[in-house]
Amino acid sequence: MLVKKLKVMNKSGVHARPAGMIADLTSKYKSDVFFVYRGVRANAKSILNLMMLAIVPDTEVEVEVDGPDASEVFAALEKLFDERFQEENQDT
Amino acid sequence: MSSKNLKDIIIQRRKVLPVQDFFTEFKKQFCLDLKTSEQTFNTSITEPEIHRPGLALAGFTEVFSYQSIQMLGTTEWSFLESMGAEKRQKIFAVLQKYSSPLWVLCHGLQPHRELLQMCESLNIPLMVSNLGTADFVKEVSYELQQWFSPFTVVHASLVDVFGVGMLYIGDSNVGKSECVLDLVERGHRLVADDSVKLVRGGKNIIGHSDPILGHHMEIRGVGIIDIRSMFGIHAVRNSKKVEIIIELQYYEENVHYDRTGLDVKYQDVMGVQIPKVVIPVLPGKNITVISEVVAMDTLMKQAGVDSAEVFNQNLLKAIQNKKSQNNSQDNIFWYRQISGFNE
Repeated sequence: MLVKKLKVMNKSGVHARPAGMIADLTSKYKSDVFFVYRGVRANAKSILNLMMLAIVPDTEVEVEVDGPDASEVFAALEKLFDERFQEENQDT
Repeated sequence: MSSKNLKDIIIQRRKVLPVQDFFTEFKKQFCLDLKTSEQTFNTSITEPEIHRPGLALAGFTEVFSYQSIQMLGTTEWSFLESMGAEKRQKIFAVLQKYSSPLWVLCHGLQPHRELLQMCESLNIPLMVSNLGTADFVKEVSYELQQWFSPFTVVHASLVDVFGVGMLYIGDSNVGKSECVLDLVERGHRLVADDSVKLVRGGKNIIGHSDPILGHHMEIRGVGIIDIRSMFGIHAVRNSKKVEIIIELQYYEENVHYDRTGLDVKYQDVMGVQIPKVVIPVLPGKNITVISEVVAMDTLMKQAGVDSAEVFNQNLLKAIQNKKSQNNSQDNIFWYRQISGFNE
């Protein structure tokens, strides 16, 4: 199992749109993906689970990935987090 | 490893209850009145117990649970009253060494000046409650147990089906939400979809909806919907005891599924054993009806009727009868069964 910390850098945190992107992305992979944030573990393939965490901007979330394509999941997630969920291009 | 099996869950526990929060939250409920200044609000309650410091007042302090809330009733108050001011001064000079989070006087009794002085100098709050000691202990203990009880958040859905709390677990797209939506449509009540907060209270596990998510659901292809505004208030509830766990699983050929219902499987959730049913999911299989049947079966078991057990007892009886009769009577036995001649 791979564990890494990712920082949420967009303006408004993980609201519905970013949560949807994360759930959409992780669902494409076979690995189990979990976000651990402030003592709560959430399934990253479920948009409601992600929204429940209400991740605040400029904080870190611990990402656990377990499965055959774990490294690819991380690469994709890191890209998404670095792009700030493409938020600057959208009206949020 | 995933929490879909409720095995790898993170159990959380609150460690402290700041007295400030205790006062603002329960001021009305416990009829509390603060006697010391508000600067004494810096302490925190760390234990869910309430201690009556009768022996400590009498001078025995070798064993003294000073970390708990100290509660004085009529007995302790009368003892202090009978001592007189000078002796009271001495008593509280001894207790000055112990810093409790909170002192409470019940029955609306007026605190002695010496107690008030000790609390002020130790910077700990002193409150007076209008409740009697028995009521105070009962109600405060309940709230403290709730506050300090372990809890966790799981990836599951909780529905009240015929009054039975059913917790659905399973893989991300096995069809939990669709099953839940179907149940709500049939008049059952949603507690939470996709993310349930479980709190252990004694021997029970109580499921709650998340304050942020409320009664929202995500249906793939449709998006996020609000069950409460769509189906109405009767379609939702905020919490429910978890009485049975339903694990939805993709059907696999070599996996054993229960066929008789004679052996009940249990799942451990934070130290509580909850009956679990594993249901294989196949295209065209109506999970909703099966869920209702499981709920009714649970209700019957609670009422003392175990269908599988009763059936098996009848079968065993029939086998016994057959064994004691010879072959010629065998045919008559079956004739009676078929024609309803038996009774």
